[in-house]
Amino acid sequence: MRNRVREQRTQRGLSQAELAAALGVSRQTVISIESGRYLPSLPLAFTIARLFALTVDKMFDPDDEEAGA
Amino acid sequence: MMTFIPPRLRKPAGVALAGAVFAAAWLVRGGPLWWVSIMAVIATAVRAVSWYRMGGEDTDEGALAASRADERQHLVSLQSRALACNLAAVAAFIGLTVAIAVKAGWWWPFLVILAITGFGFLLGLSSYGSGEPDTDDDADAGQPERSPVQR
Repeated sequence: MRNRVREQRTQRGLSQAELAAALGVSRQTVISIESGRYLPSLPLAFTIARLFALTVDKMFDPDDEEAGA
Repeated sequence: MMTFIPPRLRKPAGVALAGAVFAAAWLVRGGPLWWVSIMAVIATAVRAVSWYRMGGEDTDEGALAASRADERQHLVSLQSRALACNLAAVAAFIGLTVAIAVKAGWWWPFLVILAITGFGFLLGLSSYGSGEPDTDDDADAGQPERSPVQR
């Protein structure tokens, strides 16, 4: 599943550590989410989407994996 | 129970407590090997300090050691413990099989480990999964039957 976390974070000039602090998670978790290795829980996905003023489906694209397969 | 202990001290405190109990067991046992309790105390102190120091690192292991893990780190920890339990169960099964084959008298500890892992799994299912109250599907819960086709 592709997500736009890295894109949104860099657009706002945030470091991974700053985003992690804003989300209340570790920097390693932000790295894992950005690389797609970890799918966040629904509450965390909503928190991420709200932080960037996007909807969850705009932030996380479930169709991308099927398109790429 | 441990909320009054600062998060970073919880794991080291657990290690220290377990080590103290282990050392006390050697002391109570007495005999010529009483000095093992001193070695156990030293090893425990080293291990507790190591855990505390690890808790200051900006890594997954550090977060777990300092009891400040987030949801992914909790998941990693859970998966690791599940793997450890699976390995213990497999090792216990192999040990039990070998002990039976060679007619050894030390088969029962393997059986105890197998029983504990099996019981733990069932307890986990009961606590986290199938413990949900079973209710009727909304479609069957006293709703008047209605054709899905709107007329």
